[in-house]
Formats: sequence, structure tokens, C-alpha cells
Amino acid sequence: MNHRHLLPNEIDLLVDGEAGFGVAPLRAHILECPDCRERLEDARIVVDALEALPHFVPDARLADRVMAQVPVFVPAHVAARDSVRRWLPQSAAARIAALVAAGSGALALTLGMIWVALQGDLFTFATGMLGERVRLAVVGAARDLAVAMLGDAALAALQGLGAMGAALLFLSFLLAAAGTIAGLRRLALAGRRA
Amino acid sequence: MIRALDLANLPDADVVALALQGRDAAHRELIRRYERPVFSLVFRMVRDRELAEDLTQDTFVKVLSHLDRYRSDFKFSSWLFKIANNVAIDHLRRRQLDTVSMDGSPHAMTAEAVESTRFDVADVAENALEEIEAKELGSAIERAIASLRPEYRSCIMLRHVEGRSYEEIASTLDLPLGTVKTYIHRARHELRRALEHTRE
Repeated sequence: MNHRHLLPNEIDLLVDGEAGFGVAPLRAHILECPDCRERLEDARIVVDALEALPHFVPDARLADRVMAQVPVFVPAHVAARDSVRRWLPQSAAARIAALVAAGSGALALTLGMIWVALQGDLFTFATGMLGERVRLAVVGAARDLAVAMLGDAALAALQGLGAMGAALLFLSFLLAAAGTIAGLRRLALAGRRA
Repeated sequence: MIRALDLANLPDADVVALALQGRDAAHRELIRRYERPVFSLVFRMVRDRELAEDLTQDTFVKVLSHLDRYRSDFKFSSWLFKIANNVAIDHLRRRQLDTVSMDGSPHAMTAEAVESTRFDVADVAENALEEIEAKELGSAIERAIASLRPEYRSCIMLRHVEGRSYEEIASTLDLPLGTVKTYIHRARHELRRALEHTRE
């Protein structure tokens, strides 16, 4: 029979709950030796006290303070994927409904474009007629304005000049207007400085 | 959008991968998982709550700023505890606060020197914060832990508070397995002696 007491590392093996070859004789010795049993018990008291130690709680703002100092880099492909996902509905049912709606809209638009293409002549005629009506309306309004400002005689003289003469006259009018505005502005600035 | 509930169920390596994709929620999940154990380890090392908060913050900033260096074949928690332990040990070395001996400096050679370096808790004027710290760290086992060498303290905390195996501790602290076992054995021995004194 082995009368030697357990070595400190053998006590540690038992405290750590080690199993395996060589531990059984140690357990058998503990049953027979009060001194070693007491040493083992003392070691277990220490371990139990350690294992009962609580975790301390840090300040609740720790995460915010840490994240304020950590640069978070979002890769471009992740940012793009997130942007698309933000527009997608969250639930599966909503996503299916959105898909059906988008598909229906795309189909309607396609059919509409096909119809327009098939009705090409009608479309061209309609836009041409509309354009002519708009042109006539604009020319009529301009003529009425010119008569109101210049009178019938002046208008007749203007029409005699032809397109080039009318353009020169209009350009002269623009230059006179610009010069008037510049002069008035200079007067205003001079008045402020004074 | 990643839900918090989904993150809580993921293993550490997956959360780290999401954090590397720039997910703010993943970074915060890593902090949430480990702030208490890291803070507890650091607090018991430096025994100053405000300082422990700062060092814990430094630890997480270092870890999260260098997540690209984490290798998934190791446990994330081991890497995190390694950095936390290094941060605490570095601070203690800078401040030369290796032990808080309430019975006089271990280097004192005469009775007068022992008396002059004795730390009497009752004589220290405590403000509210220190009072809280004293309550938190005032139990016999906590005071006994405070008297350990920092290396012993790290090992015993990781073993019995964090439940790490000897091999994990050796990997975390970059120590040979035999050294870890020795440190833990010595720490238990010193703690047992300290607790015997308090029971007497």
C-alpha cells in the first residue's frame, strides 16, 4: 500500500476533475487518507469561491465610446446591396406582391408601346395637326401684339423688310434694352456710393 | 438589415465576418458579448473602476480596429482576452503596481519599512466611488486575488472565472502549458493561505 501523501499537482488534478489513467489511484487514496482529503477540500473551497465570482458590469455607454473611435468601413458592393435592399419589402408576401405589381406594370407598358408603334401613321398625323394648330396660335398672338405696339402701318412696313430686316430690328431692340438696363444699374450703384 | 436577434445566435467567427463588411451592429454585438468578462478581468487586475473602464475601452478599440488581423482558426475570445491581459499588464508595469499588499511591501526588510509601507484600508479616505469599489472588491477572495502577482492573477481568472482550459490559457497568454499549470497551482496555494488567515 502506498502511504505517501498526494503531491500538490495531484491535488490539482482532482480539483480540476481530471479523468483518465492515473487518477483512480488518487481518488482511492483520498478515501483512505484524512489529511489529503482535508487538503483537497481546502483546495476545492478556493476553487468554488473563484468560480462564484461575478462578472462586473461596465458603464452602459462603453459600446458608444468604443464605436466613436473605431472606423467602420463599408465596402462599395455591400453599400450598393444595402441600398437596393432598403427598397425591398421585408416580408415574403409583400415581396411577391411587389414582384407581381412590377411585372404587371412592365407588361402594360410594353403593350402600350407596341400599340403606339402599330398606330404610327395615326400618331404622326395627330402630332402634325397639333403642331400646326400651336404654330398658328403663336403667330396670331405675336401679330396681335405687334399691331397693339406698333400699329398697322408700322407692321406693314416691318413685313416689307422681310425676315432679315425684322431680325436686324429685333437685334437692335435687344441691344437698346441691354444698354438701358446697364445704364440704370450704373446710376443705382453710383447713387449707393454717394 | 441584420436583426439583433439573428446576430446573437451567430458564432463569433460569423459576427466578425459581418463586422469586416462594415456592419455597425456586428461590432456592437461583439462588444455586448464580451464587455462584462473583459471588464471583470481588467478590473480585477488594476482594481480601479474608472481605469478599468478606460483600459477595457482601449482593448475593444484595438480589437475592432484590427479585426482584419483575426484568424478564424483561433477562438475570437482567446484573442480578445490576450489583448485585454496585455493592456492591463502593460499598465501595471508602467505604474509599477504589481501587487497591492495590505501588509507592507514584499521588498521591506525591516519592521519599520514594513510599517511604513502597510496599506490600511480603514485609514484611506473613501469617496463614493471608492466605497463602491471597496464593496465590489472587498470580499476575502477578491482581496486575496489582489495580492497575487499579475501573471498568476491572469491565469487564475481565466481558469476559474472564464472557464478556460489550460491549453486555451497557454495559447491566450503565449505561455508554455507547464508554466500555466505552475502559475495556477501557485495562485491556488497563495489564495488558500490568504483565506486561511481571514478565517483565523
